[in-house]
Amino acid sequence: MIDFLQLTAAGLSQGSVYALLAVGLIATYTVRHVVNIAQGDYATLAGLGSISLVSAGLPLPVAILIALVSVTLASVLIERVVIARVKNLTTLVSIILTLGVSTLLQAIMLLVWGAEGRRLVAFPGTDLNLGGVSIRSQELWMLGTLIVVGGGILLFYEKTRWGKALRASAEQPVAARIVGISPAVASVLAFAIAGLAGAAAGVVSSPIYLSIWSGGLLLGLKGFVAAVLGGLVSFRAAIVGALLLGVLESYVAGYVASGWKDAVAFVILIIVLIIRPAGLVLRPNAVRV
Amino acid sequence: MTLSKPAGAVRSRTGFWPNNRATIIGVGILALIILIVPFTASSSMMNIAVFSMIFALPAIGLSLLMGLAGQVSLGQAAFFAIGAYTHAILLQKFEVHGVLAAVGGVVAAMLAALLVGLPMLRLRGHYLALATLGLGFIVMIAVREWEFTGRTTGIYGYGRPEVFGIPIDNNGLFFWFVAPFVLIGLVLALNLTRSRAGRALSAVNDSELAAESLGVNTYALRVKVFTLSAGFAGLGGVFYAYQVQIVSPQVAEFHVSVELLLMVVIGGLGSVWGAIAGAFIVELLSEGLRDLIPAIIPGATGEVQLIGYGLVLILVILLLPGGLYQAALTTWGAARRGIRSRRQASDAAASAAAPDGTDDSGAGDVPTRAFGGIPDVGAGAASSTPTVAGVEQTTDAPTDEVTLPVVSTPVATGEPILEVRGLTKRYGGVVAVDDVSFSVPAGRIMGLIGPNGAGKTTCFNMITGAITPTAGTVTFLGREIQGRKPHVGAERGLTRTFQNLQVFSSTDVVGNVYMGRYRKGRAGILRGMFGLQGREQYTHEQIARDILDSMRLGDVAQLAAGDLPFGRQRMMEVCRALAAEPALLLLDEPMAGLSGREREMLAGLLRRLRDAGLTIVLVEHDVAQVMALADSVAVLDDGVLIAHGGPEAVRNDPAVIVAYLGTDAEEAEAELKELEEQG
Repeated sequence: MIDFLQLTAAGLSQGSVYALLAVGLIATYTVRHVVNIAQGDYATLAGLGSISLVSAGLPLPVAILIALVSVTLASVLIERVVIARVKNLTTLVSIILTLGVSTLLQAIMLLVWGAEGRRLVAFPGTDLNLGGVSIRSQELWMLGTLIVVGGGILLFYEKTRWGKALRASAEQPVAARIVGISPAVASVLAFAIAGLAGAAAGVVSSPIYLSIWSGGLLLGLKGFVAAVLGGLVSFRAAIVGALLLGVLESYVAGYVASGWKDAVAFVILIIVLIIRPAGLVLRPNAVRV
Repeated sequence: MTLSKPAGAVRSRTGFWPNNRATIIGVGILALIILIVPFTASSSMMNIAVFSMIFALPAIGLSLLMGLAGQVSLGQAAFFAIGAYTHAILLQKFEVHGVLAAVGGVVAAMLAALLVGLPMLRLRGHYLALATLGLGFIVMIAVREWEFTGRTTGIYGYGRPEVFGIPIDNNGLFFWFVAPFVLIGLVLALNLTRSRAGRALSAVNDSELAAESLGVNTYALRVKVFTLSAGFAGLGGVFYAYQVQIVSPQVAEFHVSVELLLMVVIGGLGSVWGAIAGAFIVELLSEGLRDLIPAIIPGATGEVQLIGYGLVLILVILLLPGGLYQAALTTWGAARRGIRSRRQASDAAASAAAPDGTDDSGAGDVPTRAFGGIPDVGAGAASSTPTVAGVEQTTDAPTDEVTLPVVSTPVATGEPILEVRGLTKRYGGVVAVDDVSFSVPAGRIMGLIGPNGAGKTTCFNMITGAITPTAGTVTFLGREIQGRKPHVGAERGLTRTFQNLQVFSSTDVVGNVYMGRYRKGRAGILRGMFGLQGREQYTHEQIARDILDSMRLGDVAQLAAGDLPFGRQRMMEVCRALAAEPALLLLDEPMAGLSGREREMLAGLLRRLRDAGLTIVLVEHDVAQVMALADSVAVLDDGVLIAHGGPEAVRNDPAVIVAYLGTDAEEAEAELKELEEQG
């Protein structure tokens, strides 16, 4: 039982990373119909970047802040320089294109940081012990980040003018343009959100799960599996899906073999796509964010 | 009166080999290069050449998938790995004969693709891409974790291949060993792109709805192409296993899939020739970058070539979306134009253009505009068409004198051919079509009219299968077809045209009408690949040309469909629908955008088709035209059928008058009175 709870706690914290990536994927998918293969690379980029900044002597919070801002800007830059340049961007072309971006980012990381995985210093805090189940403080940071960043993005979408504009532009680009929301601005905003969510996931998970140049693809794909559980439109369903995925992976690693852990996501992906392509969303037809 | 079929006895000269001259020349040159390379290339170059041949096979498969099925696989390496592992395991653990082991490898890859493709291809495009990406990881994890596949060390210790007792033990021999398979694969793939199935799939890429409405079962064809593409990947894996002599999990790694995708993107999406060129370029690039990058950046190790892959992938998509193939076509076209203008200047008399317009333009491996692949027209067939065309062009004869396309009459005139019962469509709270029932008797023209937004097109779309009704049944020829895909009805003779034109813009006018013949053809993917369908295709192409001639579109048969003026595009759509020899023809606003003369001609044609036994239902805005043409008229208002009967009865129906005036009868009268008083 202790084992079970221990694995559940670890799974939830890992799932919160997938959840943040899923939020980023949905942001760009709803506005631009871009499936961003490079989403996970934002995470490794922010992780490796903050590691370098810390080892250069910067305090951890400053290093993290710089990493978050620069990766967010990098995501916007990618949108402006690459994505926005294609006239008829179908989802399929977007996959090939962002695959190119992802490959390029990975290669740059390989050349700059080398092939070894690196670890960011742990965030401050003491580990908890609840009736035999020990929860590392970093895991609490991970869950907390999901609540703050993920919740913040949700609030932004639902409460602010810009967020509502983004939703409008996802549902009705033509109508949104008529009432004065430029699709270009909406697209930039969506990529900024994707960059921020990805970077936050990368920074907070680096102390436990390492940052390695090639790790982004797998992370991004798991975020995608979570996003599919959210029908590619619903942030809430995707977050729930991501946490479920993290917990399931954790059980497989604990009870079966850690090597098989990474296969879980794709088995789920294929099963969900066969049985219920709309994911965990209750009203599949409505476009919601 | 039926359309005179071209003399079927004309022997087509198509056999196994591709019939396009440019293709034969291209394959010949490639074969020559393959023969020479091992004598001239350096050993490092030979290594690149061998691997580019091995990777050309999965790349050809992927280009078919992307070009024909319009799908992307990001897990082509998974099928490659399945082929390699199966082959190696069969050789090493079961000591199976090499040929059998190779077949095993290919079949295993195809089975895996079938398993993934059957569910995934029902969904929209990007799901297959991501599911194959997931499959790639599953395969890699499975071979790494499974004792049977040798975990991280992999499978090794099996022999090299032998051909006629000669062991294939150096790169030169191996190159000759694998190259014939690449050549045959190339020819098969080229044949496929020009075949009935290939043309159908490229029509699907232009307009899925129109293609399905002509009887194309998109899903089934896509599953077949996906399976075939995995077969190519599996074959590549078999050769890979022979060449490297150890199959380890790195063969399934993701960057192999990226490499394969890059080959196809560089070559030009969907171009089979491009895939081979792309394979060579990427292998060269990979080798070059592995030397170059560490020289520039000291200490760089690992997969450094990825930086080039990423850059090239982005740049090609942004700057040269058609890849090398498009670049080559553009260059070739410019060169030809240059030569032609010079030739014309020197020899104006020789301007008698190529007969029949069959200029073999381009290498033609993407479904091209001209029927370059159709066998040379025999004298017998050529003479049968000009008589019709001649009459057309010289006299301004009324349409009565032209030949009438064949129609099918499966039920006796007056018997119901289509029954619609309780048809309803709701969108959320909005009811677009509400409990509509009617029956269409065979051999009659029925008009469906109503104000804007009355639900006419929605009705049409439910009958033809473009959308699924919320409730109700559609019975065509005694079979319920509601909620089925459009090809189900189309296969039995229900054909339609579209209010918003759905033209196959990647082919020419005759290519469009040829697609109408789809349901009358039989050749499948296999026959297409082996080129055993030239005669069938030729017959159907002739029929398509005859229909165009009879509808006065013969002069534009060779033009790109998208270049026609609007009215002629509409006529072309009618030709395309008629080419299917339909039993029931549904026309969605056929008169819109036509000139007065064209309207007259179409109305005359429809009457004569009706007299020949064809059943026609038309949605039309032009009420006067419908009243003049139709035997019965149904009126929809706000999704409800408010009247159905003879044109006279409907014209005087008060409910219909109200619907068209847009107010209720009393109000209208009151308004009139008011006006009179003021006046």
